[in-house]
Amino acid sequence: MSDATEHRKNLAPWWGLLFAVGAVGCNAAFFARPPLQGALPWLSLLFAVLALVFLAAGLQRAFGRTQVYRGKGLSVVLTVIALFPLGLTAFAFVKARELPSATAAPQVGQRVPDFTLSDTSGKTVSLDQLLAPAGSASTSQSQAQAPKAVLLIFYRGYW
Amino acid sequence: MEKRLGEFQAAGVRPVAISVDAPAVSRNLADKAGYSFPILSDPDAAVIRRYHLLHAGGGPDEQDIARPAEFLVDSSKIVRWSNFTEDVRVRARADEMLAAARQLR
Repeated sequence: MSDATEHRKNLAPWWGLLFAVGAVGCNAAFFARPPLQGALPWLSLLFAVLALVFLAAGLQRAFGRTQVYRGKGLSVVLTVIALFPLGLTAFAFVKARELPSATAAPQVGQRVPDFTLSDTSGKTVSLDQLLAPAGSASTSQSQAQAPKAVLLIFYRGYW
Repeated sequence: MEKRLGEFQAAGVRPVAISVDAPAVSRNLADKAGYSFPILSDPDAAVIRRYHLLHAGGGPDEQDIARPAEFLVDSSKIVRWSNFTEDVRVRARADEMLAAARQLR
């Protein structure tokens, strides 16, 4: 038997790269607001860990078990490529969770502070107006009677 | 959100968005995304601060912005439901907010 047939294919680095791409790909899935989106950050971490395990195994095979596996160069190249999505995944995970705590914010059962702010046309709108029947508040919605509640959505803004 | 606006109205709930963006920026967003619910502007984050939702230096150029948060506030201005994410990528889904809205009486 020739040398070539005795060597086994080292697929581990490919799996590593695949999981690394999957890890960074989880960030794209957030835009679809899937029902289990709360699990996505952890899924991306899991993929990243699996990627590291496979990449390490791939390198170990290529360099430590040269009688069985070949492809030293390829395993290094794939590992270096995979480090980019892995770096992005780690960066996104840390950045996305750098949020101040909301323990001082109004909690269920507490009264919220009043406010008066400008809408998109520069007209001022107060919380009282928002809770009043439409017409007094600046809104294109036609709500004849006063709403039961307002849904206040604080967001980071667009830039 | 916009797609479910009718369902929010049917549940008697008026959605309102608040950020530090200037009215012109929000108008641009509303035009592009086709939002018809009110988008309010809190450029110096005074209201955001009053709600203890300030993310100091969280924006571009270390700008003070709001951390994401959602409140269902009833006619007596009492919070009936709230959501504070720990990850900016994870926000309340329209489904969850509608479910909370429908439980109001």
